[in-house]
Amino acid sequence: MTSLMEPAQAESPAPLAEALDEVRRSAQSLLADLAHRPRALRIRAGDVVVEMEWTEGQQHAPATSTVAPLDGPPPAGPPSVGQTPAGGTPAAETGAGETPGGVDVTAPIVGTFYRAAEPGGAPFVAEGDTVKRGQQVGIVEAMKLMIPVEAGTEGRVVAVHAADGAPVEFGQRLLTIAPAAG
Amino acid sequence: MFHTVLVANRGEIALRVARTCREMGLRVAAVYSTEDRDSAVVRFADVAVCVGPGPARHSYLYLPAIMEAARHTGADAVHPGYGFLSEVADFADACESAGITFVGPPAAVIERLGDKSTARAAMAEAGLPLLPGTIEPVADAEAVAKVAADIGYPVIVKAVAGGGGRGMQVVTNPDDLPRQYREIRCTAQSLFGDDRVYVERYLPSARHVEVQVLCDRHGNGVHLGQRDCSVQRRRQKIIEESPAPGLPAELAEQMGQAAVRGLLAAGYAGAGTVEFLVDDQHRFYFMEVNCRIQVEHPVTELTYGVDLVREQLRVAAGEPLGLTQDDLAPRGVAVECRINAEDPARDFIPTPGQLTTLSLPAGPFVRVDTAAVAGGRISAAYDPLLAKVAVWAPDRPQALARMRRALAELTVEGPGVATNRDFLLTALDHPQFVAGTHDTSLVGRLTDSYSREET
Repeated sequence: MTSLMEPAQAESPAPLAEALDEVRRSAQSLLADLAHRPRALRIRAGDVVVEMEWTEGQQHAPATSTVAPLDGPPPAGPPSVGQTPAGGTPAAETGAGETPGGVDVTAPIVGTFYRAAEPGGAPFVAEGDTVKRGQQVGIVEAMKLMIPVEAGTEGRVVAVHAADGAPVEFGQRLLTIAPAAG
Repeated sequence: MFHTVLVANRGEIALRVARTCREMGLRVAAVYSTEDRDSAVVRFADVAVCVGPGPARHSYLYLPAIMEAARHTGADAVHPGYGFLSEVADFADACESAGITFVGPPAAVIERLGDKSTARAAMAEAGLPLLPGTIEPVADAEAVAKVAADIGYPVIVKAVAGGGGRGMQVVTNPDDLPRQYREIRCTAQSLFGDDRVYVERYLPSARHVEVQVLCDRHGNGVHLGQRDCSVQRRRQKIIEESPAPGLPAELAEQMGQAAVRGLLAAGYAGAGTVEFLVDDQHRFYFMEVNCRIQVEHPVTELTYGVDLVREQLRVAAGEPLGLTQDDLAPRGVAVECRINAEDPARDFIPTPGQLTTLSLPAGPFVRVDTAAVAGGRISAAYDPLLAKVAVWAPDRPQALARMRRALAELTVEGPGVATNRDFLLTALDHPQFVAGTHDTSLVGRLTDSYSREET
């Protein structure tokens, strides 16, 4: 089996990113050729695996699209979370769930939260910014995997709860979006 | 010794490991899924990290999340408990690479002994007796048929990657072999992602006897006697005891020495178990190695007076074994019953749900390992083990009487929740069990009569 540590240590990020892009393109063309969308899809090329799952009733967009090195289970849940993840109840200590008048974006995995694409770079979003549904608002890094955090709803960022570089738990509240009216 | 130990597990075993860590003055870091937010170990721990949602593959089995939790909590050691990532070589490897001590054998040893084919080869090389069969995986149904014709039916076809009683198929009739062979390959592929299988002779009425071994990282190894785990329902143990009743002392000693020899030869470190089958002629055969602390470890702790988790941590920290074989003499008899949230009247289907009442056995020489609390929930996301009740007594009749008394004290209530308590009491009263002459076929016969009574 391939260790999860290996790709990150043995290779520079560039070939890994290229491989990911390649797998992503293959997935898209594969899906385009299918008459019916599958429930789940797993594509593997060398050390890279892309897994996708679609939730019931969702017709077009992938609900979950996660990327993991070979043989690792996929990261948990969709990156954009407006509701508490399935099976869970909101907990005060992690702050997951709804804030009155706003929709919380929570951490998709335990890891390190980054507000910008690179150290010292401009943050993806700041308080007061308006965001579209699916827009990237941060990154959680877990074991050298960069997992995008996306807005689950269109609206205005009313609060950012986690600092750049802060350790976060699964389900921890990262920021709050006030949904756009209508 | 370590500063912070991350307990990479849940339920009773997470709490059990955490307790020893606390006794040793080590900081306890727990992990939990959203299903286990209010669990006993989360409350007990010095720090706890949510690692994912309920499904284990997204939380307790998800290596990057566990590694991140270890990093965030500053853990310098990870105890994997049993199940989940405990026998995943990549996890041991990832810990090592991150400079965190994995409390268990080295990754390469887990890899070799976790694969039943290479484990059989390694143990055969160390001189342990194997059941007649193949060491190498078999390529197709014809090859299985050939081996089976050689060694005689019934045979058992087992997944090379199997373990914990899963991924095996008994073949009694040559005509069924092609179909059963296809089925087990499919099952093995879906359970373990590895469809390789091997064949060995099946003993329908053998005893399951395992040896607890401790090895340090300095080439020393000792055994802590036997556990008889012959009371199994569909290869899941439900009653375990130490020592194995009626096992001749000379045979017990031979098995103990063989187990230590096998694990030392494999480069083992930590607590490990070598499982054997013992036939009615008192011949023993190597079955598999478990590279972890086992569910039933309390019966060994009770008869030997040794905290196995403490020894695991000491060995992992590089300390030499504090025990020699001569120091280790068992006292009395210990028996453990696994209380599962399941309904024997409905073919033992799991019965998760809210516990409105939970009253646990206590009193003289009774040990209860559980993470369940009144008002808490038995989650449908995980295995239905509710509690382990273990008792100690100077002899077996007293131990069985004590267990009956303890089980009678147990009350579990909740909407839709049932337990196997009464079934355990039935097994405890079976004349063969009382006489200590039972084998692995006991529960099968009991459940047959159980379902007849129901219909």
